[in-house]
Amino acid sequence: MEAFLGGMGLLLDPKILLVVFAGTLIGIVVGALPGISGSTTTALLLPFTITMGPVPAIALLGSIYCAANFGGSITAILVNAPGDPSASATAFDGYPMAVKGEAGRALGMSAVASAIGGIFSVVVLIVAAPLLARAAYHFGPPEYFALAIFGLSMVALSGGDSAVKNLIAGAFGVLIATVGQDITTGVERYTFGIYSFSDGIEFIPVLIGLFALTELLEQAAQLGKKTLVARLGAVRLPSWQDIKDCSKAIGLSSVLGTFIGILPALGATTAAVIAYVETKRWSKNKAEFGKGAIEGVAGPEAANNAAVGGAMVPTLALGIPGSTTTAIILAGLIVQGVRPGPHLFTEQPLLLYAVFSSMLLANLLYLALGLGFAKVFARVSLIPAPLLWPAVFVLSVIGAYAPNQAMAEVWVAIAFGFIGFFMRRYGFSPAPLVIGLVLGKMVEETLKQSLLIFDLNWSGFLGRPIALTLFGLAALFLLGPFLLQKLRGRS
Amino acid sequence: MNSNRVAAAAIIAIAAALFALTFGFERLPEGITRGFGAEVFPRLVLGVIIALAALLAFTAGKPDPLPRIPPMVGISGASLLAFMALLPVLGMLPAMFVFLVGLGWLWRERRPWVLFLSSVLLTAAIWAVFVRGFGVQLPKGLFA
Repeated sequence: MEAFLGGMGLLLDPKILLVVFAGTLIGIVVGALPGISGSTTTALLLPFTITMGPVPAIALLGSIYCAANFGGSITAILVNAPGDPSASATAFDGYPMAVKGEAGRALGMSAVASAIGGIFSVVVLIVAAPLLARAAYHFGPPEYFALAIFGLSMVALSGGDSAVKNLIAGAFGVLIATVGQDITTGVERYTFGIYSFSDGIEFIPVLIGLFALTELLEQAAQLGKKTLVARLGAVRLPSWQDIKDCSKAIGLSSVLGTFIGILPALGATTAAVIAYVETKRWSKNKAEFGKGAIEGVAGPEAANNAAVGGAMVPTLALGIPGSTTTAIILAGLIVQGVRPGPHLFTEQPLLLYAVFSSMLLANLLYLALGLGFAKVFARVSLIPAPLLWPAVFVLSVIGAYAPNQAMAEVWVAIAFGFIGFFMRRYGFSPAPLVIGLVLGKMVEETLKQSLLIFDLNWSGFLGRPIALTLFGLAALFLLGPFLLQKLRGRS
Repeated sequence: MNSNRVAAAAIIAIAAALFALTFGFERLPEGITRGFGAEVFPRLVLGVIIALAALLAFTAGKPDPLPRIPPMVGISGASLLAFMALLPVLGMLPAMFVFLVGLGWLWRERRPWVLFLSSVLLTAAIWAVFVRGFGVQLPKGLFA
């Protein structure tokens, strides 16, 4: 309680307030820009947070993460082009509403539902993360290894064309984490004589390349495509009747979104799509969906913002990222010298509660900013691509170069820009690669430690019930989609 | 040709090459490695990758043919490499300015004053924040 109050007290610090405000503003603006997602922005801004110290750095990244999901709904509703992938389901009904002249009502509902979903999930985060951390407090290396494998197995379900492709990308991420000196022997691996690879490939240039530069090449492929912009009209609060009509959708989607967010590797986009389907299933107005149903905006928006708090639960409590953006935030914590996990709750409770309170504040801020300035934010989507994307490249270069002042890292970013482009072209999502990269070191370290404990006898894992349960769950998630496909085929 | 099989074949080839490279890792006595040398984990991961790629090749349905990559992607990709080639000659800030104007023009922004002004402003902002603010030493060109 003391730590919680201390964390809340940090919000009285003008520096933290300014950081959260700036993060929320940046989050909404970049969320509204088609192509620049919350993960791209957090990846781009990661180098800038290095000098900030852990609390403001994570407050900034956390508030961007919270606000970008809402920002994405602005262009989803007005331009039918989701600014953030998590807003793709919002466009199904948001854009038809805008075409009917109800853009303001849709945006208002999006802000309200997003804030409710977001706040609900942060409350769950405040309650669940310490409980989960307490449960994991006595985990040893075998349990952590099993947990990391469980986290990696979940990438099978995250984006991309197929589970196999996701797993391949995740495994490549783990492999990239092996570059540099081996932790126990000091032997260099895959460094190719490049000095700056001795400490491993840094997260920042890889993330910048995979998200910002890949997106630049994707945008180059879409140059000249015209989008129809719907008129905004006045943004107004949804009526009391609207909120009453959507309360079931918001409640259901907040719970669903939080739960899906907690599952490692599944993020806001999955949550929004599932919430849209479930909102439609439980709605009395099924026929209206796809033609401008306000519940079709409320459901996905509550869910994608609820997934944010949910995704932070395993990230902070276990060090296992709940989504792509939390993988980047996790990288941000590691860069700051903070290793998330159960011990964080006893060692740095103030940091955690500062994160929680800044996320709560960000949710309230984007509600106010969204309702007051949606019209202004919508203008951001009109920045011409020939000015925006070259600027993104220049910022990527400086972002990759500045932390270590090494040109090799700019080359890494560019190389991963091309790799990401071809990955996407062949149906491989970059998200599993990032999760694999973040978890890679933990997988190798804990495997080595476990085998030392078991005297190199792999069957030692059989004597660890928690590890066995996690392996069983991993197997279920890996084989589940294939078994379901077979069963469906038979029936 | 089935693009999933092409991808699987490329992955297997890359993984096999990386596997072969593990034989070049420095060998240390068993007493130091304690049975888990630096090459063991990468080999384990590469084995998993090769097995998954084989699974992809054998189970892949026939996906829609891949669309042609528009020439602008190639041009933009080449311009990133051109920036890197230009950087040691001009220095980072001038190369950034040239890149901003050049790629903007290639992407069909035809208002010279907009291109010039936005490029000058962004380059100046980067100088102010990074060079003046954070004290970052940016690479200088041949003429500096």
